[in-house]
Amino acid sequence: MKQTPYLFLLPSILILAFTSLYPICYSIYYSFFNWRWGDEKDFIGVKNYISLLSDKEFWIIIKNTFVFAFFACFFEIVIGVLLAIYIDRIKIGSTIIRTILLIPLMVSGISVTMLFKVMLDNMFGIVPYFLSFIGIKSNFFGSYTAAMPTIIGLDVWWQTSFVFIIILAGLKSIPNEPIEAAKMDGASEWEITRYIRLPMIKSLLFLVLIFRSIDTLKVFDIVWGTTGGGPGLATEALQTYAYRVAYSFLEMSKSMTIMVLFSIVVIFLTILYSKLNKDL
Amino acid sequence: MKKIQKHKHLISAYVVSFFAIAFTLLPVTWLFMLSIKSKGETFTKPPKWFFDPTINNYTKLWDNDLFKDTFFNSIFITLISIVLSVTIALFAAYALKRYQIRFKTAFMQWLLLAYMLPEFLFVLPMFAIYQTIGIYDTYLGMAIIYQVHVLPFSIWMLRSFLEEIPKEIDDAAVIDGCSPLQAIYKIYLPLIIPGIVATAILNGIWVWNELAIALGLTFFDSQPITVGVASFRGYASIDWGGMTGSAIVSMIPMILFAAFAQKHIVKGLTLGSVKG
Repeated sequence: MKQTPYLFLLPSILILAFTSLYPICYSIYYSFFNWRWGDEKDFIGVKNYISLLSDKEFWIIIKNTFVFAFFACFFEIVIGVLLAIYIDRIKIGSTIIRTILLIPLMVSGISVTMLFKVMLDNMFGIVPYFLSFIGIKSNFFGSYTAAMPTIIGLDVWWQTSFVFIIILAGLKSIPNEPIEAAKMDGASEWEITRYIRLPMIKSLLFLVLIFRSIDTLKVFDIVWGTTGGGPGLATEALQTYAYRVAYSFLEMSKSMTIMVLFSIVVIFLTILYSKLNKDL
Repeated sequence: MKKIQKHKHLISAYVVSFFAIAFTLLPVTWLFMLSIKSKGETFTKPPKWFFDPTINNYTKLWDNDLFKDTFFNSIFITLISIVLSVTIALFAAYALKRYQIRFKTAFMQWLLLAYMLPEFLFVLPMFAIYQTIGIYDTYLGMAIIYQVHVLPFSIWMLRSFLEEIPKEIDDAAVIDGCSPLQAIYKIYLPLIIPGIVATAILNGIWVWNELAIALGLTFFDSQPITVGVASFRGYASIDWGGMTGSAIVSMIPMILFAAFAQKHIVKGLTLGSVKG
């Protein structure tokens, strides 16, 4: 039968239409209203978009989100790639090392916040206790300057192994011949890594960059579970803000407007990725 | 000289991995230690390194019906999500491998987009429609919205496992008069069991750990364990015993997965994302 393949695809298409197309259309539609949980909905055109984009607070939140994403991605990729380069050399014990380093990826975001809340708590935490010996009075989640770096640190602990696992698999799949040839010519270990290994896994590096950047822009769990966006707006990110707007301020339409704007960014990055990926 | 050089690189590799392992295990070990300390000893200064371990926090969690329910809710939601995604994805992956399909590239791009969309985009629209059709705060409702993430991933995974099966096997089945359905469950299914296991595990981990959607779309009956753990995070008074214990309880099944299915997980992570 000619239709067979389409019949096989139909359940996937229906489910994806319901779970992805419907929410997008619904959010776009109601972003033009002033819906606030009740039955009353008035069409107000692009007012939500204008008021959001002219709101200083909203730009601070956008800046926070991108600052978080930039630094979290940067450290995760640098540390993850370096770890992979080093651990690629290990033959004995590499399985057990990889298994242990995989653990953070298995932990939910909310549990990550618990792990670090007990360690960094001002009153009871072990880290502030040791820091007090060398005369440092620390306030990891509560101070304007420290809150954002702390959250970034949590994400780095949590997600670096994603980069590590993928890059390590890439390094392991590189054929031996060019490396042996370079060794014969007297290339040092770092030269081989810089000029042979890394160029050969270029497309994987690009992949982790895109996956990590979209994922960090979507940050929710570790902000909501620790600072809740505070102090002030110091760590508020787009998704935690959209949550607060909908559930604390009860402004449904405004919250959906935020998510529509944010989704445009995500869709743009995703399309950029699939376009560039073909060239690599 | 060359030999020393070689060893130097190996030693530095072991030193680096030692620090990485220490940094990874320290927070987890510390949380576990706090969870088996008795109430008075939890935060003594200086910290007590030797103490009588107690399972008090865990028995209290077991008696806490609210938390216990979230644990079992998560098991059901995870299982339903896995069964749904793997079954539906298997047919899609088979169609993508076996047939020439128009709009194939568009379909694959749609998968990637759906997979990448931010979680909170789904919450309010789904909240509205779930209320209307009556699946708000149910296992099924949660399992359905989670498909937006796990279904694309399952299709990539199963497709890449199917690609490894030589085309001759498939042709032979058709010549012997197998219908496509028979070909799937008699020939392909047994061959890609490892692929299905890897897919199921990775989907399960994602669903088990999901928080943002669960916060918005559950109220009581289907609250998953992530929401259960979060409920111990009070602002005024923090229940440290419940917090440490519940976090450990939610982590244990996944860490066991990491230990026993390490190979599957690594293969899945790399395959799944490379094919995307």
